Amino acid sequence: MIEVVASMARGPVFLAGELMECLITFTNPMSHLSTSASSEMLAWASAQIHCQFHASENRVALPARGNKQDVQADSDTVLIPSRGERGQCVLDTPPKILFCDLRLDPGESKTFPYSEVVPIDGPPSFRGQAVKYVYKLTIGCQRVNSPIKLLRVPFRVLVLQGMPEPPFPQDEEVSPSNPFLEEEEASRRDARALERALDMLMVTTSRRCPHMFNITNMRGKVAKFCIFKTVYRLGEDIVGTFNFSEGDIPCLQYSVSLQSEEEIQEQYQRRPGQAISVTGHGRHLESCLHTASSHFSLPIPLNVTPGFSTDTVTLRWRLHFEFVTARDPTEPPTVLQNQSEVTVWAGAEHVDVDTFSWNLPIKVLPTNPALASYVSQFTGTNSISI
Amino acid sequence: MYFLTGWPRRLLCPLRSAEEPFHIQPSSQRFYFALLSETQLSIWFSRPSVLIVSYIESVKAAAQFGFYQKAEWKPDDSMVAVATAKGYILLFDVLGGRDEKYLYEPVYPKGSPRVKVTPGYKEEQCAPALSLEMKKPVDLEAPITSLQSLQEDLLVCTADGYLHVLHWDGLGSNGRKAICLTTIPFSLDLQSARGGPSLDLEGVHIRCMEYCVTLDGFAVVLSDGRLGFITPLSNTITADQLQGVWAADVCDGTCVAVNNKYRLMAFGCASGSVLVYMIDTTTGSMQLSHRLELTPKHYPDIYNKTGPVKLICWSPDYSVVMVTWECGGLSLWSVFGAHLICTLGEDFAYQSDGTKKDPLKISSMSWGAEGYHLWVLPYRQERRRQEEQDVEMVSPPHPSLQAGILQFHFIKSALTVNPCTSNQEQVLLHGEDRLYLTCGDPTQIHSASDAHPHTHLHPRDSSPLHQPPNPDSPLSQGLSTLLGHKHWQVVQIHSTYLESNWPIRFAAIDSAGQCIAVAGRRGFAHYSLFTRKWKLFGNITQEQNMTVTGGLAWWSDFVVVACYNFTDQQEQLRLYQRSSNLDNAFASVTKLHSDTLLLNVFRNMIILFRADCSICLYSIERRNDGPCPSASVELLQEVSMSRYIPHPALVVSVTLTSVRTETGITLKAPQQVAHHVESDACRQQELPFCPPVVLAQCVENVWTTCRSNKKKRHLLEALWLSCGEAGMKVWLPLFPRDHRKPHSFLSRRIMLPFHINIYPLAVLFEDALVLGATNETVLYDGQGSSEPLEALFPYCTVERTSQIYLHHILRQLLVRNLGEQALMLAQSCASLPYFPHVLELMVHVVLEEEATSREPIPDPLLPTVAKFITEFPLFLQTIVHCARKTEYALWNYLFAAVGNPKDLFEECLMAQDLDTAASYLIILQNMEVPAVSRQHATLLFNTALEQGKWDLCRHMIRFLKAIGSGEMESPPTTPSTQEPSSTGGFEFFRNRSISLSQSADSIATGKFNLQKTFSMPTGASAKGRDVECAENMYIDMMLWRHARHLLEQVRLRDLGCFSAQLGFELIGWLCRERNRVARVDDFVSALKKLHKDFLWPFPVIPVGSLNSPLKNGGCRTVLSSQLLKSQSADSLLNSDMDTAPTSTAPTNHTWMDGLGQRSKDMDTASSVHSSQHSPQTQDAFLSLLTNKVEEYSIGSATDLTETSSVVDGDWTMVDENSTLSLSQAELEHISMELANKGPHKSQVQLRYLLHVFMEAGCLEWCVVIGLILRDANVIKQMISFLDNPEVPPETVQSVRNGLLAVDAWASADCLGYKPFLNLIQPQLQQLMESTSEQVQPEAFQPASQASKLSASEGLGGAAVPRVEDTRGVAAPLGLALPSLEPAGAFPRPPSEDSPPEQTEEQAEEEGTYDCTLS
Repeated sequence: MIEVVASMARGPVFLAGELMECLITFTNPMSHLSTSASSEMLAWASAQIHCQFHASENRVALPARGNKQDVQADSDTVLIPSRGERGQCVLDTPPKILFCDLRLDPGESKTFPYSEVVPIDGPPSFRGQAVKYVYKLTIGCQRVNSPIKLLRVPFRVLVLQGMPEPPFPQDEEVSPSNPFLEEEEASRRDARALERALDMLMVTTSRRCPHMFNITNMRGKVAKFCIFKTVYRLGEDIVGTFNFSEGDIPCLQYSVSLQSEEEIQEQYQRRPGQAISVTGHGRHLESCLHTASSHFSLPIPLNVTPGFSTDTVTLRWRLHFEFVTARDPTEPPTVLQNQSEVTVWAGAEHVDVDTFSWNLPIKVLPTNPALASYVSQFTGTNSISI
Repeated sequence: MYFLTGWPRRLLCPLRSAEEPFHIQPSSQRFYFALLSETQLSIWFSRPSVLIVSYIESVKAAAQFGFYQKAEWKPDDSMVAVATAKGYILLFDVLGGRDEKYLYEPVYPKGSPRVKVTPGYKEEQCAPALSLEMKKPVDLEAPITSLQSLQEDLLVCTADGYLHVLHWDGLGSNGRKAICLTTIPFSLDLQSARGGPSLDLEGVHIRCMEYCVTLDGFAVVLSDGRLGFITPLSNTITADQLQGVWAADVCDGTCVAVNNKYRLMAFGCASGSVLVYMIDTTTGSMQLSHRLELTPKHYPDIYNKTGPVKLICWSPDYSVVMVTWECGGLSLWSVFGAHLICTLGEDFAYQSDGTKKDPLKISSMSWGAEGYHLWVLPYRQERRRQEEQDVEMVSPPHPSLQAGILQFHFIKSALTVNPCTSNQEQVLLHGEDRLYLTCGDPTQIHSASDAHPHTHLHPRDSSPLHQPPNPDSPLSQGLSTLLGHKHWQVVQIHSTYLESNWPIRFAAIDSAGQCIAVAGRRGFAHYSLFTRKWKLFGNITQEQNMTVTGGLAWWSDFVVVACYNFTDQQEQLRLYQRSSNLDNAFASVTKLHSDTLLLNVFRNMIILFRADCSICLYSIERRNDGPCPSASVELLQEVSMSRYIPHPALVVSVTLTSVRTETGITLKAPQQVAHHVESDACRQQELPFCPPVVLAQCVENVWTTCRSNKKKRHLLEALWLSCGEAGMKVWLPLFPRDHRKPHSFLSRRIMLPFHINIYPLAVLFEDALVLGATNETVLYDGQGSSEPLEALFPYCTVERTSQIYLHHILRQLLVRNLGEQALMLAQSCASLPYFPHVLELMVHVVLEEEATSREPIPDPLLPTVAKFITEFPLFLQTIVHCARKTEYALWNYLFAAVGNPKDLFEECLMAQDLDTAASYLIILQNMEVPAVSRQHATLLFNTALEQGKWDLCRHMIRFLKAIGSGEMESPPTTPSTQEPSSTGGFEFFRNRSISLSQSADSIATGKFNLQKTFSMPTGASAKGRDVECAENMYIDMMLWRHARHLLEQVRLRDLGCFSAQLGFELIGWLCRERNRVARVDDFVSALKKLHKDFLWPFPVIPVGSLNSPLKNGGCRTVLSSQLLKSQSADSLLNSDMDTAPTSTAPTNHTWMDGLGQRSKDMDTASSVHSSQHSPQTQDAFLSLLTNKVEEYSIGSATDLTETSSVVDGDWTMVDENSTLSLSQAELEHISMELANKGPHKSQVQLRYLLHVFMEAGCLEWCVVIGLILRDANVIKQMISFLDNPEVPPETVQSVRNGLLAVDAWASADCLGYKPFLNLIQPQLQQLMESTSEQVQPEAFQPASQASKLSASEGLGGAAVPRVEDTRGVAAPLGLALPSLEPAGAFPRPPSEDSPPEQTEEQAEEEGTYDCTLS
């Protein structure tokens, strides 16, 4: 038996264009003292990244495609990473051979590093109602005259759309024209890709530009709403303030929901005019009858997929507001001082209300993948025994 | 602990009135708030925060009673008492609280298909309808100073020095008592002077008073500012049964608030400080526990200008206290005085432009339910100003003033109310509607890896493969995970549960940090982070029929709940399984006999503390017999604690611990931790009970763990305490070294106090870390927001923090002469990523303290610390890092203790730790004469050169130059240019004041002027001045020496790197050395060395071996062909370069077809053959495989022999190259041929070197490189150069001999070279003829000719066209890959037209958008 353990030390979340590193350890678990212990042999092992696409049958009509099924028998020495997976493989990286002819003595263990740049042009990991994009690192290994065994390590990919192209040397402020300088440049470049992406993220999401909205309905002004920015990173709080004291219409209650809209591109929609799937990711609900000003803070969960668009699906983000407003813009009662009689004022038992809704589109961008790793449902580590 | 979040919310009274509320009084459960203005009593509801009812006095009554002043609720919320200015007590009946009548119930238009925003809105979101009715007023005939509600009575203090006891129900004559203050005897403690009043109380009255249940007495502030405590000696309050004690030496008291849980009395003083007193239980005297004061350090401009303390408010759970002063501001302290928030400083006090804000002045405040809100009534003038701001900014919609109430929001640690064990290892905060969890903590990894052995691999366990060379990778990342990031995972509490059960009372997280349970007014709910789903009771009746009383805890995947069952009217202990539905059918229920106050879980035991002051232990056992797992609970033991605990409400937490290796119970009572030790003689049976031991006072939290780890026993078996302002304490076990004399040591422990800068919320035992949280603020003013609240207050957030404490403990141990223990402890933690930092901190702190001390220290600790650190390999590094971070003035003291820096420098060199040595150099430079530092620098420079540490070399060059110029011009010039490439760890070179006047030069040659290396040196050094010349000369000498050394050893690759990295003028130097060291003595060994250094495969001769590829099937062939692919893919890129000199047009398709057919078999065979040569280099090739497109193109070439590996079954791969219609044999042939070339990068580097040598005229080297590249043109060119009369004859001779030697070697050892040698044979012939006639031309015939005649026949034919063949095929392929860079061109000009920074100015107007609701 050989135990294969693949482990992404950095965590299971990566930004597209970033270098993924995975350590794959092959261990012969037999103790060298054990009598039955013998050396184990593996013919080869190879690894590659692929992205599986799966669409819901009753929402997405995909064009028929050539039925390229897995024709290989198990005994073949061919690694098809997506074999046995649902959906179709929309993207894969070239396979990289980890080794050929590995021999492990009892108790021996060997580790092979695998590194690959996560393709920058792929879709992000996404688990929607109609469409799924799932990334996996698949490690295939084979003993001589045995079927190929696949070890899959699922991971999550965040895509920062509009990220600058992976830097070519020309982009660097100093071009390394001497070939002896290239080595370190190349290793720095990978780190820099992430840095640049994060810088860009910080710049776009940390700029505040308040937007003010007068919330009005047909009866009059309800409130003034201020949101300080409309572009957010995962994990950030969306903060907005309401000022009801300037409104003419009493507002009993409001709610703000963070929602994502998943829209199938027109040509792939199963039914024409098919509704957009909306998913809620958090909600703030507040009674605000005698409130002059208030605010909400909605956290954007770290596990959601930032907005993106592929040729099949578009994911957008919005804030969905609902307001319960009184129908009569009652003039607030005035208490006159120095009345000769005692006055007891009590609130109304019933209020005739209307409800109104409003949507505000926002942008949700990825965050530092290391941060997203903490809450990932994947562990970044997986193992099999062969 | 409590943290402020967001902005305050502003409530507005819907009644327009000229009066402002100035007093707020919560009802006992804090669901109602009574607000008073001059003639108006209003009742507000807590959630939703709406006005329920308002009573407005008639003008006549107002004239009679005077304005309202104070209010107090009857404990059952049925009455409100209001004190008026003219000495009346007005009693109001609050009616209707129990009716099912609600206010503000929304009525939706009939028939409209509207969606209700909240399904349960009607019931939960409405305030109950109440009404107010005034009963008969009571005239007390003197101004009322204080009101206090007792269970049955109302206690009123009047300004005439009387204390009135009024009965809530029978107000009037019969239930009324009056006690004159002067009759109460006062003393300093209860034992002394029992007779008669000892103090002059004439004309004095009680200004402020509050009753403390657990102390059974009144804390009073007298009108003359003295503080006292009055206790009734019997059960009823009567005049002759009262006894008072004084607080000594205080006479400026203003107000008081008592803490029932911790038995503390907080007195506000006119000086602005709050004195917190406790009662000494033996003497009954008042003892000062601690003070709450703003420190001049943190609040330099306000600490003494706050004015008298105005109000003090303990939070409902008594764990924090809010204080406000006359000048305004809010300040929050923990119960034992750790300061948390103050709104008098920083962002609260200053706007973003630096202008000072007026502090918020407060006339009254009150905590809301469970402490999630603080209701604050701003002082009138303050509010006026705020309204004026409104007026300025927008036209006011309402002309009249309206009452405002500010609601501040807080989140608190789950420990404050539910201190169960798992909450202590995770930071869990809860706000009104959400939970904050830390994410990515190492504890999660520990515990999770225990549960699932294979899913987690600790980052620090990563194999050595992963650690160097990149220092930013996993190690430092782990560090930043622990220390750096400040993010929370925020979980919103399920709104359905929240709306019907607000407020949340208890929250608990499991030890893995994956599951959370919360309990509100009724029932409970739990959440899993993994599924991200809440689980609520399916049956709402079950939820509403229970209320959690004693807290929640997790035991593996069970929620343990101590609750009250309303249907059976009994107290129960229930366990619910996490994965099954939340239903009583799946719960295990145990009846309890008394109310539960506290609950905790330890291993497989539940510990309960009950209202009858007893502790119950239950064992839990998991049962898997049923369809779903259940748990059974069995009572183990009951222990009565009533002898030790005066009141059950005083117990803050109960924990079972394994501290002291025996099982014990830790019981946290107010002000002390009592530790009950019970031996583990019969753990499952009766635990013998031992009387409690007081371990520490003023304890806010206790941490222990039930895990054990032999390697970290010190940390895991310790008991950690947080003690408010006193910092933290650890009760550390001491272990005998080497297990000698275990008995004498076994029970030894030591209590060590230490200070940390954060409020501790969780102790990570194994990681030697404390986690906490702090309030941070963000200013939103000046954002164009017209809302004054956002301008007035910063937006508050809570950030998690963490702190290392190990250095404190180590130091304390060293101080106490427990060096062995310190060493054991430190060694157990040496693998922690921040351990070096710990050591550094320890040296630093001790150094700062001792070196700056005014008096001489009799027994300095620094030598001990230094000696301690020498035990660790990090010693050298620690010392130098510490030195760099301290002032120069302290260095002498430091190095006197740790040793001479010269010696340390040399130790670093010996240990090959060059970076650390470099750090020492800066010390030497400051402490020694320049000659010494130069000498050491030279030493280091040479070592760095040898090891190829280029960054260090560059710095050393600069350093050496700086020393030189520093000698001449002092003071040294400050650096003006920033170094273009900053490299980690060397910042100090920049920051120190070394002259960097030449840094730009030296760097520039390294980075910018690389192209110059092709031309002759332009004399960059010539422009320097004399001094620089000398220095440069010195450095150049060293560089030259190193270059010579490299060239002598045929380390061309190193030479290339050396020259590139340091900007060494290779060509100029080579020109000079052309006839000296730049000669080649042994062509064959040089060639071999190049092959090795550049990973260049030896050429393979396609020997007509007989094994057919088809026979050889199986994985091996395919794999090797894949290997070939990767090699050849790289070479393909360069094919146009290879062909560049001859530039053959790619037109040979027909020819190639013919060739392909002819040599098919042979070529496939040779590919197999070549694969057998390649294994030793396969790793390098693999790492170069980067380009997808190349991969495909070659993929088709190898597919055909074997079933394909890559393309098949993959619909995304469209093989573009299939159009080339190359036959299988051709392509295999090509790939075999290309396999004979090395990696692309090596090729580029070799070409580069070739150019350099050509420029410098080093013909011998050119020939060697030409040979390895097998570029006939180069050889031809070189040989033609040899005709030049300037070429010295030795060179010609050397080339000739060299080529002969190579030929001989090739014939003997490396037949692969023969075809190439044949190719250049004419030139060789020419060379031989032109120089001497000694050489036999036959020598250049293939040596194998005789032996393998038939084979070499084919060879000779194939070898020549093969070169052509490569071109022919490669060219079209090259065309198909247009994006790939032309590999031959090194001097690529840096693109100057880098795309201009896209300054997208999104001119976001801050105007107002109108949006209409749909």
